[in-house]
Amino acid sequence: MRAATWTGVNEVSVETVPDPQILNDHDVILRVRRTTTCGSDLHLLGGYIPFMRVGDVLGHEFMGEVVEVGRGVRERKVGDRVVVNSFIACGHCWYCRQELYSLCDNGNPNPGITESLWGQSPGGCFGYSHAMGGWAGSHAEYVRVPYADVGAFVVPEEVSDERALFASDAVSTGWMGADLAGTKPGDVVAVWGAGGVGQMAARAAMLLGAERVYVIDRLPERLAQVREHVGAETIDYSRTDVLAELREVTGGRGPDVCIEAVGMEAHSSGIQGAYDQVKQQLRLQTDRPSAVREAILACRKGGSVFVLGVFALMVDKFPLGALMNKGLTVRGAQVHGQRYMPRILEHMARGELTTEHLATHVMPLEEAPRGYRMFKDKTDGCVRSVFVP
Amino acid sequence: MAVPRILDSLRGAATEAGGALLGRLQHVRLPGLGQSSTTEDPETAARRWRAVTVLCSPEQVGTGADLPAPLAALGDRVELRITPAPGDRGTELAARYRDRPSDDDLRALRSALRESKQLIEVGEVLRVDPAPHGVRRPTPQGAALEGMTRRAGGEGVL
Ligand SMILES: NC(=O)c1ccc[n+]([C@@H]2O[C@H](COP(=O)([O-])OP(=O)(O)OC[C@H]3O[C@@H](n4cnc5c(N)ncnc54)[C@H](O)[C@@H]3O)[C@@H](O)[C@H]2O)c1
Ligand SMILES: [Zn+2]
Ligand SMILES: [Zn+2]
Repeated sequence: MRAATWTGVNEVSVETVPDPQILNDHDVILRVRRTTTCGSDLHLLGGYIPFMRVGDVLGHEFMGEVVEVGRGVRERKVGDRVVVNSFIACGHCWYCRQELYSLCDNGNPNPGITESLWGQSPGGCFGYSHAMGGWAGSHAEYVRVPYADVGAFVVPEEVSDERALFASDAVSTGWMGADLAGTKPGDVVAVWGAGGVGQMAARAAMLLGAERVYVIDRLPERLAQVREHVGAETIDYSRTDVLAELREVTGGRGPDVCIEAVGMEAHSSGIQGAYDQVKQQLRLQTDRPSAVREAILACRKGGSVFVLGVFALMVDKFPLGALMNKGLTVRGAQVHGQRYMPRILEHMARGELTTEHLATHVMPLEEAPRGYRMFKDKTDGCVRSVFVP
Repeated sequence: MAVPRILDSLRGAATEAGGALLGRLQHVRLPGLGQSSTTEDPETAARRWRAVTVLCSPEQVGTGADLPAPLAALGDRVELRITPAPGDRGTELAARYRDRPSDDDLRALRSALRESKQLIEVGEVLRVDPAPHGVRRPTPQGAALEGMTRRAGGEGVL
């Protein structure tokens, strides 16, 4: 089959690779109908998560049609149109039973690497390096889905492929951030990053009853999408002092909930930006945390900060004093998507959650290298490149 | 807190961020990172119980020939300790060698514990290989990573 693979730092190729096979009883094989780029891929492509091998198949946000089922699969059958969560979870361990699916004990067959980095190993993720299990990704004609009864959800008839696709990762991640940060009716919520994840965190916060939601970015086309399709307000951090603006619009309190959806390659200007770039390039810190710093400084006393952006290891100049003295709750997670996808698909079916606008560039899989270049450089207003195998 | 003040202190640190600092930081070892113990002597570390918590009752782990096959295969060389975990967390399944183990022995024990847990909780051991991939152009980093991933089921802090 054809597949988009990582062939070096910031290099994507399309090549012919072997078809996947059923290896475990709980597997299904999916014919991929749509698969999309995610901000997390950029950290991989750029070599910031150095556990990729040349030839690894990329992609973790996808939907498709079941074409083969393993002997142990009970709930899914050939012909089902399903959307699959990006994290691989067994459904049986203690973490899965707590609905903390991305922490599954049994989703990563190579837990030695992440255990060594972090003390404990989270679950596995499709197409996300040998540290996260070495699973082949979804930018291919076919993909093997382990634990399919747990991670693959049937798409309601009235939901289009383009809409369902983003339930896989962007929407479930955003929803998790808004939910686990404790968003309540009446809250003011600020979201850093207007990519697919940040936009969907903002939308989820609104559906959870937030009174006002602000999204912070510098890319005008993304901020315009937030106003038009999400219905939240926007702050352009390249023109506005974000902390001053948030204080002003919240009566001096600061937002109740701050959601970071930027990640380890956060952009920032001035001396802070230069400092982080230099330190990251010299490998003195692995990650650039400017949006997390700002979220912690912005948050109201006793408020809640949720880190959705992916970080690999260490950051520098972390405002621990603000966190401690302001009594903040800081939380983060990879996506516990299985917990939210049924509800998300219902909202999608009712038209309350639309995602088609994220798919700014839909193209054949053969054009994946171009799709990634546009997504990385954010050219031509690219928010997400979607591949059709 | 005043952001300018933070930026000021950043400015100081930024100018320091030269090669000397890099050299120093590359040798920093964080305690507990990368191996089960960085402070104990190897003898003590090798004798520690290695444990996984399995979501089942202690009886479901089994004994003797009824143990999950990966643990049963290690036979009398390892002793087992099976105790209920606090709260609703299941059963703590701990094992250690009676004699002094080699690194390979420890790797085998880590894999056996992880696989036993999967067999009890899910009913099968998850396999990832063979996974579809493109041409593996040989690179030194790739070779190192291949070695690392081939062993990763038996590595870690367990
Ligand atoms: N937790 C999870 O499970 C999970 C799932 C998916 C994605 N992610 C992570 O979420 C993050 C966002 O993903 P995405 O697909 O939306 O990525 P994206 O690259 O499309 O969007 C990131 C946005 O952040 C903006 N940005 C950069 N620096 C900023 C700053 N200092 N302040 C405010 N905005 C800033 C960029 O302009 C861009 O629009 C990534 O780090 C990704 O790895 C996490
Ligand atoms: Zn993602
Ligand atoms: Zn699990």
